[in-house]
Amino acid sequence: MNRAIRQLTVGLMACYVVLFAALNYWQVGQKEELDAKFDNTRAVLREFNRPRGNIVTEDGVVVAQSLPNTTDENLDFTRDYPTGDIMSNVTGYFTKDFGSTQLERTHGDVLTGSTAAQQVRGLGDILAGNVDNAGSVELTMRYDAQLAAKFALAGREGSVTVINPQTGAIIAMFSNPAYDPTTFVGQPFETAQQAITDLQNADGNPLLANAYQERYMPGSTFKVITTGIGLEAGVLSRETSFPDEREWTPPQTDDPIRNYNGSLCGGDMATVFRRSCNIPFARTALELGVERMIDGTRAWGIDEQLPIDLPRAATSTFGNVDDLDQQLPLLAIRGFGQSEDQMVPLHMAMVAGAVANGGQMMKPYVVEATYDKAGRVLDRTSPEVWKTPISPQTAALEREFMIGVVESGTASCCLDLAGGIQAAAKTGTAELGVASNPDLSHAWIIAFAPAENPQFAISVVLINVQSTQDVAATGGRLAGPIAQDMLDYLLSGAGAR
Amino acid sequence: MTHAAVDDEHGAGRRTPSPIARHRRNTELTLVVMAAMITGAAYAVAALGTNAEIPPGIVVFVGVLLALLLCAHIVVRLVAGGADGTLLPLAAILHGVGFVMITRLDDRLAGLQATWSLVAIAAFVLTLLFVQRTTLLARYRWVLFLAGAFLLLLPMAPGVGRTINGARIWVSVGPINFQPGEFAKLAFAIFFAAYLADRRELIAARTWKVGPIHLPEPRYIAPIFVAWGFAVVVMVGERDLGSSLLFFTLFVVMMWVATERVGYLLLGAVLFGGAAWFSWSQFTHVQTRVTNWINPWDDPLDKGYQIIQALYGLADGGLLGTGLGRGNPNQVPEAQNDFIFASIGEEFGLIGATAVLMSYILIVGAGLRIALRTERTFEKLLATGLTTIVGVQAFIIIGGVLKVIPLTGITLPFVSYGGSSLVSNYILLALLIRVSDSAARRLGELPDDPTTGERWTAWRLSRQIRRDEKRGEQPPSVTGPVEVGS
Repeated sequence: MNRAIRQLTVGLMACYVVLFAALNYWQVGQKEELDAKFDNTRAVLREFNRPRGNIVTEDGVVVAQSLPNTTDENLDFTRDYPTGDIMSNVTGYFTKDFGSTQLERTHGDVLTGSTAAQQVRGLGDILAGNVDNAGSVELTMRYDAQLAAKFALAGREGSVTVINPQTGAIIAMFSNPAYDPTTFVGQPFETAQQAITDLQNADGNPLLANAYQERYMPGSTFKVITTGIGLEAGVLSRETSFPDEREWTPPQTDDPIRNYNGSLCGGDMATVFRRSCNIPFARTALELGVERMIDGTRAWGIDEQLPIDLPRAATSTFGNVDDLDQQLPLLAIRGFGQSEDQMVPLHMAMVAGAVANGGQMMKPYVVEATYDKAGRVLDRTSPEVWKTPISPQTAALEREFMIGVVESGTASCCLDLAGGIQAAAKTGTAELGVASNPDLSHAWIIAFAPAENPQFAISVVLINVQSTQDVAATGGRLAGPIAQDMLDYLLSGAGAR
Repeated sequence: MTHAAVDDEHGAGRRTPSPIARHRRNTELTLVVMAAMITGAAYAVAALGTNAEIPPGIVVFVGVLLALLLCAHIVVRLVAGGADGTLLPLAAILHGVGFVMITRLDDRLAGLQATWSLVAIAAFVLTLLFVQRTTLLARYRWVLFLAGAFLLLLPMAPGVGRTINGARIWVSVGPINFQPGEFAKLAFAIFFAAYLADRRELIAARTWKVGPIHLPEPRYIAPIFVAWGFAVVVMVGERDLGSSLLFFTLFVVMMWVATERVGYLLLGAVLFGGAAWFSWSQFTHVQTRVTNWINPWDDPLDKGYQIIQALYGLADGGLLGTGLGRGNPNQVPEAQNDFIFASIGEEFGLIGATAVLMSYILIVGAGLRIALRTERTFEKLLATGLTTIVGVQAFIIIGGVLKVIPLTGITLPFVSYGGSSLVSNYILLALLIRVSDSAARRLGELPDDPTTGERWTAWRLSRQIRRDEKRGEQPPSVTGPVEVGS
């Protein structure tokens, strides 16, 4: 019998070897494949069963938090966005069934306490009986400034972006239309699915922030860039002067270029900038030529993704540059911000910021710092120079031109700040050239203030606007008052510090 | 055992210590304390993982656990001092891990499982105390056979039988639900060991010629057909494929070991294959199991859901596991029961699940080592049968969870939630320990002291003799009532 018992031993051991092999197959060999299965919710469930920290604005308002879940037995927590649509384009959302976006996605590790630093630091806490290791994220953005921006936009499609030109910290960045994450986060699946579908199909794409995830034709605000390139290249100077003319025909075409409204426009550099003549900048672009214009725009960060600490940021573009030397009229038109030029509104605030900051364009960021559970700093963002497109001299000169725009130029109507604070600005009216609706434009303004000691740089864009009987659809008239409201609020109004 | 020896021991009044026995018991004590500590730590970690707080009753928990295991250990020390020292600790650690996992999965089950743990340890102790000689079991072979058959068929009886989760394997008496099949397997293992110990030569002889094939006398192999019939009845009537597979494997293995004829393995395989094919072609629930085994992703939200979620859990656990209380094993329906191994794999990872597999391998190893060590045929077969039950049952359910074989619902010994399973497995453990101790005494590793019952009989007889001698009568024969060994 002993022989059979020994054989039985071998047989049973063999059975267990098979089990061991199968265990390795599922837990190691097939792990990645199983983890990636579409209906595998383990990873998401784990996230939802962990406390997740707050996202807090610079002025201390909680804009994303976790609450104990009372409705779904499988989930311990539900995510809540107390400020609705005010910060959603920055916080993003965190859902079980529809994924997560923006800071909720990129900073999920901090919020759940799973960064290496938190795990090491949290060890003591865990031993002390506390496994809630959730960190928090502090924004550079101010809730009050967001509210002011939303109020100033008054429901019109567009965006307001305010940055600190010295650091690149984003103070306000509100886009209309926005979305309220609570319409689908924490809702029953069918309700949430319907809400998401509606948002995806809604006009103006509320799920994308037009302040940094979309780009628009910049119109005359682009002249700040062309002027900068021209000054740096020595093609332009304070003394450069342009003839008064209504139209000018570039080479390779019979179609003349006109100024806005076909007006007669010319004079020295400060004048053509202040009055926003088109022809001088078309001439400048051609004089610079294809090569120098492309290199110049690259120096301003155009055709490079914005280095903001949020995912899926858009990229400004100078347009298609293949064979551009065979299409010089296009180059000329792009010199004043029409044709294929497309700028991200945030990028335009950074353009104003570069002028305000002595030629240094700072990396934009929304996360001021991350903290562990105990409130100790994990990481604090240090300001970084992204581009240096112009010298301090050029910046000083452009500042002068931009002050002229406010004092007696296209923004003189609308950027007279309270308390005698001087602003510097450039307006833009990007004519979209829609044949059936020739008046349809994007109304822009970029500005900074106080002009001599800039604290804020701003870009405002209103999308797809048209003239009314009372107000021409120009950047100065439409976007100017919004910039004024914002700068007044921040510098001398209720939001001043 | 001679009359004189009995008399001497009676005079001494206590058992002689032996170095081997003491060594084994001290090993057991150390391992049992370690098992309790590991369980206590796991209990605390699981509570930390789920509720972020150390359970308030942790000291009481470890205290009660330790008291229970020490109680079991002391009884082994007293009445089975020569037994293998690893079996009880292995069962304790499996039981502990299972209990922690069940508590973590559904804390409402914790109280019930704790009560059953108490009952199971009590059953272990009582079995060791009552069954002090293995011959006692052999003596009641036919009673056990009938009891086993009765228990197996009990769930099919109207009135008491209950169908839970599609399988009619439950019996309800008042407030208590239990699975008699868990006890029937023990009864059958004992019966078969006793039956085959008597008749193994006759069955192996193959005196009956059918054409060119030599077969044993029909009356000697009739029991295997009866057993096969039982397995089929269970399979058909109770929809309990796992138990049928276990019973049948048990019978075939014991026939094979008893006769050393591989033919029985082949015959068994053919018979089971035939029965399996028949039920596959006749019953949709069997077809569903097979389809699910081949590709559960054909119906991922309904029939394949359980196994798919188990595999996701295993994958999520990976090498090191999610950590106790940090995974989502509750995604798997019946996680505390048939699928507890998937929960362990998810939260303890490959490392922890491998440790569980190793525990079963060690139990199987220890059990079969007992079978090899003992010289008595009945004990050899009994140890083989009992070990086969644990080893094969764990294989059937773990294999099902890991998609190695079609899934058949059966409990994971010592680990799964459920009183019947826990109690019957602790009785099984006690019997193995009894056989182990018996083998050690037979090998002279420790003095084969008489049991309490034997001492009582001896004392009664000696008093009788003295009384008779006073009266000047002839002493009666003492060989009859004092039955020691076989």
